[in-house]
Amino acid sequence: MVGNGNDTPPAAPRSSYLPDFCATRTVLAVVLISETVAIVLALARQALESGFWTDLARTSMFLLWIGLCSAAVLCWSRPRLERMSVAFASAAALAMLVAVTVVISEATWRVGQYWFAGVEGSVADLFPSDHAGFLIRNAGIAFIVSALALRYFFVSNEWRRTVETKARSRIEALQARIRPHFLFNSMNTIAALTRTDPRLAEEAVEDLADLFRANLRETRNQIPLKEELEVARLYQRIEQLRLGPRLAVSWDVSALPMDLLVPSLVVQPLLENAIYHGIEPLPDGGTVTVSGVRHEREVELRVSNPLAKAGGSGHSGNRIALDNIRERLELAYPGRARVHVAETESEYVVTLAFPLTANEASA
Amino acid sequence: MKVIIVDDEPPARDRLRRLLEEIEGCECVGEAGNGQDAIALVTREGPDVVLMDIRMPGMDGVEAARHLSTLDQPPAIIFTTAYDEYAVRAFETQAAGYLLKPVRREKLSEALARAGRLTRPQLAAIAATSTATRRRTHLSVRVRGELRLIPIEEVLYFLADQKYVTVRHRGGQELIEESLKSLEEEFSEDFVRIHRNALVATRHMASIDRAADGQYAVRLRELPETLQVSRRLASDLLKRFRA
Repeated sequence: MVGNGNDTPPAAPRSSYLPDFCATRTVLAVVLISETVAIVLALARQALESGFWTDLARTSMFLLWIGLCSAAVLCWSRPRLERMSVAFASAAALAMLVAVTVVISEATWRVGQYWFAGVEGSVADLFPSDHAGFLIRNAGIAFIVSALALRYFFVSNEWRRTVETKARSRIEALQARIRPHFLFNSMNTIAALTRTDPRLAEEAVEDLADLFRANLRETRNQIPLKEELEVARLYQRIEQLRLGPRLAVSWDVSALPMDLLVPSLVVQPLLENAIYHGIEPLPDGGTVTVSGVRHEREVELRVSNPLAKAGGSGHSGNRIALDNIRERLELAYPGRARVHVAETESEYVVTLAFPLTANEASA
Repeated sequence: MKVIIVDDEPPARDRLRRLLEEIEGCECVGEAGNGQDAIALVTREGPDVVLMDIRMPGMDGVEAARHLSTLDQPPAIIFTTAYDEYAVRAFETQAAGYLLKPVRREKLSEALARAGRLTRPQLAAIAATSTATRRRTHLSVRVRGELRLIPIEEVLYFLADQKYVTVRHRGGQELIEESLKSLEEEFSEDFVRIHRNALVATRHMASIDRAADGQYAVRLRELPETLQVSRRLASDLLKRFRA
């Protein structure tokens, strides 16, 4: 029973995967990356030169200059990068990082060339002697390391987003369970029936209990489609008591594979919305149609309702329910499920499509 | 005490009727399933109290109460709702009587004993905070003591005179005691101001004609006469009409 909930915040622009490079944690990460690269370079050079610690020290100092200047440049340009798409922002960041490396390499070469030019011995040996080669090598290393670092930031950001999405959709599923309007109206109907038709009242209480049990079930679990449709029918029976002849539901789902596992509570909320937004505002009621088609690779489920004339209660509550279903289907079948909404003058149709194959990534 | 029950759900009406039967001095004189039927029933039966559900198809309970409040002897209204946070808050602030469904017998008899009339401003405030759409679906006019409803879709234009506003609709014309300004605010989606004293339904506009002197005039479907457009509002009107 998908009801009121807070609107989900608009998705952040995806290029903001870059962390805040002014934050202490990120600067620490930059220092660690620089040091790791310095150690790798120093280790690699051991075959050629002697003096591991001296080599590590000068490489560290050089790389920390590059690392911290890069962090400063990224920190400064972050607001601009965030406005770009992922690809553009990554390319721009990469270009800036290579540019920073080249500039600092050039500066290093000059310092060695002009300040220590006359100095004989160990200090001058610390500086590079081959100008062009030094710049090109450094640019190449910068390109590879920066690309890896950006990839790392991107992946860890995606991972965090997935974790957040899962947590949020679970909370939403919890909040979404009971639409208070439905609960109290059903109680009122039962209160009326206890006197006029005790047997029907008894049935209504049983239906309501089953419906709530289904709603309290762990929404992560997948259930056979047959059960999911059964829950929707329970819901229909309760609403039928309240709305009487104003509500008709036409079921055309015999083509569907009833043992297919689906995320729970994807059909019932659609039926609920169709009744709440479609049938209730119509003085003479109407028919909700639930139909299913089985394709070669996927299953299509369609719930449609007549539309009340403009000026009705609107569909804002509906969007929350749809977002919730969309998110849970996406978690269950990443990239392979669709929720499609079509609205015409007289009809509102929601179509769910999900794969027929075994569910691989059950969340 | 004569009571009328208004609710779109038959079981909800049954239950209220049974509860009323058990309360001494109360008599249920009729039931209605929506706002329009409720108004017709009230003008016919002249009840003391109306138990009015809020969420109903067609005309909702709050709008029906607003129309009823224009009667000379309006009935007291007690709203009923299963669940509606906003409406309940509005009832609290306007001191309107309300009952939560399922209704308890004691609460019902208490509410009936205290039931009072609501003023038009109180009802307007309730409508503003409690319903999703502030717009009424109908206008109500009193014709020889009877309450007559005019669907908004049938209104062609409003024309302000010194003191009254004339409503020209497909079935004739009527005087109402509302200001053009408040009508313009409420029905801004479907009506457009073309002159200091005129508000026209966009859906009934046929064309905007330009006279030789540069003045514009609106021609309506189904009407022979045209309405003058003020110079100040002409460009806005043309923009909206073309869109």
